[in-house]
Amino acid sequence: MEVTEAMQNEPYLTPAEAAEEEAIGPMQRCVLFNLDRETYGIDVSNIREVLRVGRIRKVPGADPRLLGVINVRGVIVTVADMRRMIDVPVSDLTHESRIIIVELEEDCPVGLLVDRVQEVRDIPEKRIEPLGSSQEDNSRYIQGIAHYRDQVIILVDVPSLFES
Amino acid sequence: MDEDILQDFLAEAQDLLEQLNEQLVDLEQVPDDIELLNAIFRAFHTIKGGAGFIGIKPLVEVCHRAENVFDKIRNSEMTYTPEVADIILQVYDTITDMINRLQEGEREFEDVDPDLLARLDALVKGGSATPSESTESSSASDTTMSETAAVAEVPLELPEDWDPDDDITDEEFELLLQMREQKLAAGEVGADDDNKALAEVPLELPEGWDPDEDITDEEFEQLLQMREEKLSQVESAAESDGADHVEPEPAPAETGTSSQPAAVAEHSQIRQVNEEPAMPADKTKAAEPKAESTAPAAKSESTVRVDTKRLDEIMNLVGELVLVRNRLLTLRNGQEVDLEEISNAVSNLDHVTTDLQAAVMKTRMQPVKKVFGRFPRVVRDLARKLGKQIELELRGEDTDLDKNLVEALADPLVHLVRNSVDHGIEPPEERIKAGKPPVGHIILAAEQEGDHILLSITDDGRGMDPEKLKRKAIEKGLIDEMTAAQMSDKEAFELIMAPGFSTAETISDISGRGVGMDVVKSMITRLNGSIEIDSVQGQGTQIKIRVPLTLAILPTLMVAFGEDSYSIPLTSVQEIFDYNPDETNRIDGQMMVQLRERSIPLYFLQEWLAPDIEPQPEGNEAERDKVVIVNVGGQRVGLVVQQVKGQEEVVIKPLGVMLQKVAGYAGATITGNGSIALILDLPGVLQRYNQMH
Repeated sequence: MEVTEAMQNEPYLTPAEAAEEEAIGPMQRCVLFNLDRETYGIDVSNIREVLRVGRIRKVPGADPRLLGVINVRGVIVTVADMRRMIDVPVSDLTHESRIIIVELEEDCPVGLLVDRVQEVRDIPEKRIEPLGSSQEDNSRYIQGIAHYRDQVIILVDVPSLFES
Repeated sequence: MDEDILQDFLAEAQDLLEQLNEQLVDLEQVPDDIELLNAIFRAFHTIKGGAGFIGIKPLVEVCHRAENVFDKIRNSEMTYTPEVADIILQVYDTITDMINRLQEGEREFEDVDPDLLARLDALVKGGSATPSESTESSSASDTTMSETAAVAEVPLELPEDWDPDDDITDEEFELLLQMREQKLAAGEVGADDDNKALAEVPLELPEGWDPDEDITDEEFEQLLQMREEKLSQVESAAESDGADHVEPEPAPAETGTSSQPAAVAEHSQIRQVNEEPAMPADKTKAAEPKAESTAPAAKSESTVRVDTKRLDEIMNLVGELVLVRNRLLTLRNGQEVDLEEISNAVSNLDHVTTDLQAAVMKTRMQPVKKVFGRFPRVVRDLARKLGKQIELELRGEDTDLDKNLVEALADPLVHLVRNSVDHGIEPPEERIKAGKPPVGHIILAAEQEGDHILLSITDDGRGMDPEKLKRKAIEKGLIDEMTAAQMSDKEAFELIMAPGFSTAETISDISGRGVGMDVVKSMITRLNGSIEIDSVQGQGTQIKIRVPLTLAILPTLMVAFGEDSYSIPLTSVQEIFDYNPDETNRIDGQMMVQLRERSIPLYFLQEWLAPDIEPQPEGNEAERDKVVIVNVGGQRVGLVVQQVKGQEEVVIKPLGVMLQKVAGYAGATITGNGSIALILDLPGVLQRYNQMH
């Protein structure tokens, strides 16, 4: 994964905090990003890189949730609007908009357009509450909710985002 | 079962089978060619070895018996008659079938048809000339039998810290072998004397052996031979075939690629004459469907063998590329802008990239032999079944073309060759009556023609009668009398590629049911190729297929709506002219344009591709919309576009999985200025456009 400026500002931990972290147990390392005012997280193992938004070529006739295709060093990558994928009202692009390139399966990259990418953070697995199995269809993409350091983070399961 | 070892075995076995397919048919013409016999013997032997190692006992058994048969043949104890050939070809089909199933993931195999095994055993027993020889050879075969059986039964035990995902190292491999031999020697699996002997023969390495280097095929073969030699000494059975083992032989894996043994090279013009009358039906039937199954198997193969020289070349060029990059980086960090230096670096980059592109393209190229190799067998079986005598000649087998094309061409070619055998070549009596030699001749040729490959299938059969074709087309309602009268002979021949046309008086199960030629045509069209038919009644037919050298690069016409570019495959484009609303009219709700007294339907792509772009202001001639006349599956339509930018050769890139289902696109490409153009798939575009209206 390429390092972008957003990922470098890892919060500084005091030794005491670090010790506490260690005691907490296994961690899930996530890239955090925003849509509207919510914070979401995607496991880093799914992510290939984060890109600034360039020109997105429309593909007339495609699913409206798909914005089009971009050229990532010679590979044509489909870009989906994360807002549309999870039914958040659409907004305009800003200078903070980013495309997160995730790997659906091997050699199958897909871009997700998000409002802002925050940072990479280790979230203790203990702090992640899985959602019950009685989820509705439109929230199936939620792998769990984490409450950690004053933040509520919605963890997104990338493969189920693109199911159906 | 270790996946890596299995994959290596499969790749090797498939290569060997591909060669065997040709070699076995060749052998029928020159049954005493000792080099060919040795090559075939080794092929079965190698497959047997691999199968034993991964523990597929039925495969070992059948290969072993075939090996025995060929051992007898090369010792001149029996001859390779067409009857023997039938059985051996059945063995070949059985092995091919098992290898294909292994490839598809099957790991358990039932025993081989005992009837086939019995027939093979009968061949070995009955083939000997004298009783004394018979006992000798059968005892020899028994020992080898128990050897292989034992080999198959000794399970490979893996060390505890074994990681199945890792490549096996030389040390580990060595260790495994040792463990195995110890077991054998300890008699854990009921080893008999032979096995002990086997275990006691140490593997001696040749001088100059470098333990750090990978073993080459030749070295491996050599080791095997040395070992066999030793064994035969141990057994103190200095039989005549010992000489064969000592003889340094090239590795069989090499035969297909560069250093073909002289014997095989001599027969690159494959002659296949079939003198035998049709054989009993039951045998052919057994062989027939399995022969079919070899065709799709070739498609699942996803590896390419690349000459290391080509890889070195690429490595070299990549090295150059890195140098150029470093130079550009240095220039960027420099204080002053040195335009000359930059321009030098960029022109260097230009050269390296061009060479690199060509070098990478070459790695995808494969000799057309890959497809041609199956035809001697196809023709042999079919001719035997139909009671015809046919000689097949292959030309230009070494012509290289793109790997994807090689695979895509296989089915259409099989169809055309079957057509020639079935409909083209007459039965011997008919040929003699017509004053022709009784043996029919089919030439399958490939040659490079600029950036295209020309494939031709030529037969000296009965040819086609244009009048008969026209009458038939009228009967079927494909054309009317008027059109028929105006048709040239050549146009009449093309009727056979019209959907719903079949020339066979009776439907035969060989060339299909009239779905054939139009399918062939659409397959070739899909490859951006063309097909041409020539025929002289009584003298024969020639079918020419032209396909581009590679599927990866496509000549296109770039058109655009506003900022968005689209490419149209150039092979479909016929002409381009300005759109003039005054020359159009609406017929039955469809806009048509008049072109040389013909009405051609117009498709306004903007409605679909760029609905939010303002229509062009009329008046200024340069800014008028353009009509691009394209030919889509024989139908001419006019596409109305905003701008025509010109021709461009594009590299086709697939659209992601999520967009592949969207009709109308064949892929995307990156244009000179770095933006993306979508490549239109015309049949899909028309279908889609028609749905919208």
